[in-house]
Amino acid sequence: MSDIYPGFEPKILAFTCNWCSYAAADLAGTARIQYPANLRIIRVMCSVMVHPNLVIEAFECGADGVLLMGCHPGECYYQDGNQKAKARSVAIEEVLSLMGIELERFRLVWCSSAEAEGFACLVRETDEALRVIGPSKYRKDASKYSKSELIQCL
Amino acid sequence: MSLTLCSEALSGCSGCEMSLLNAGGSSLSLLGRFDIVHMPILMDHKYFDSGGGSQEIHIPKARLGLISGGVRNAQQLRIAEKMRRQCDTIVAFGTCAAYGGIPAMMNLFEDEDLFRRYYRSAEGTDAALDPSQVIPPFLERTFALDEKIAVDFILPGCPPHPDFIASALESILEGKSPQLPLVSVCDSCPTKREGKGSAQRIRRFVKNARYQPDKPISEMRCLLDQGFLCMGPVTLAGCAGMNGGPPRCIEARVPCRGCHGPVRRGGNQIMDILNALVSNGIDTKNLADRLSLLRFSGAHGRLNRRCVQKAD
Repeated sequence: MSDIYPGFEPKILAFTCNWCSYAAADLAGTARIQYPANLRIIRVMCSVMVHPNLVIEAFECGADGVLLMGCHPGECYYQDGNQKAKARSVAIEEVLSLMGIELERFRLVWCSSAEAEGFACLVRETDEALRVIGPSKYRKDASKYSKSELIQCL
Repeated sequence: MSLTLCSEALSGCSGCEMSLLNAGGSSLSLLGRFDIVHMPILMDHKYFDSGGGSQEIHIPKARLGLISGGVRNAQQLRIAEKMRRQCDTIVAFGTCAAYGGIPAMMNLFEDEDLFRRYYRSAEGTDAALDPSQVIPPFLERTFALDEKIAVDFILPGCPPHPDFIASALESILEGKSPQLPLVSVCDSCPTKREGKGSAQRIRRFVKNARYQPDKPISEMRCLLDQGFLCMGPVTLAGCAGMNGGPPRCIEARVPCRGCHGPVRRGGNQIMDILNALVSNGIDTKNLADRLSLLRFSGAHGRLNRRCVQKAD
């Protein structure tokens, strides 16, 4: 893929739950599956324990994208944590839109502990989407990147 | 020894100064100990030499500077910077200076929308061109004071209660930092709570709350329990002053609007209240007032022009 914003490397933060998505990330590692290296993973016990303020704070500190990863619906280790996380994601999107942040930057996704390829695929998808949207306006160096001239001509 | 005081009102409504004058007896005893050297709202003072030579803003040196209002245009920014240089201690006085306040709601829109609304499309307005003189150039949005200059203390409130102003000035005279409450409005609210999750949905406040007019506030059921959007849980206490009465809006039997800003400095009122509601299974998508939940704390980049939708 050609660079839309030359030199721009998205910073992606992922909150992964201990029981499913972190295990998937672990498996992706042991299986040597390739995925973008610009992902920072924070392991939490359950997707519901990520308070929305943490997601907002990540964006305020300049993250280009935040992935909140949990178990598939019905498979939560704590019964319904991921459902509550889903309810909260509605509120997060509301606040992001007020902050002027594109809603595509935040994703709540499900990933079981066996889905190493699925995990890598989600990260690749997010990375590619962020390369198209470009740097977040909250990034301190956002003004450094501009659309390549080729794209502007189109 | 008297303390020299400078006061400035930027992008605000001068209500905070009214509250200062409203401090009554305590203000009279305080006034003798302050020497007001610059306060355009109360006394005449020229920023520039009458000779017209220098373009430097003139504000006298002072120990204490009270600044109310946020920073919206270039002139206010110059005044704020000059105040910082001339005053030893700067207090962000009122919610506008501390968190942006009502003027920061404009951050959702473009300047062009503002001018179109004010000079062309408002009812009863004769259409005119955008003003090109007198109004100083706008900054890109409304800023809280601490985004532009270093601030030593904040004194939130719309306006701050006279008790707090008096006690803050008192502490500054004694060389201590002013003490703010550390709890939310709910902590100082006497209404009856009947349990979490009893409200199934949140209604607009078009119908009055249920209460018996002859009974005290402590007999009324919590307004959030009754299904009205009350900002009490996410708002700093203190609107009732030092004597510990019920919060002022609640006393008038209407929900709290959140005028004291977040409980913790740097908190996010809209995120906290929406999180509390959705975590209790309340659908916030249909909340009519949800865009104005940051009506008092929209600076610090909390409100921004939207990427997706354009303002009407």
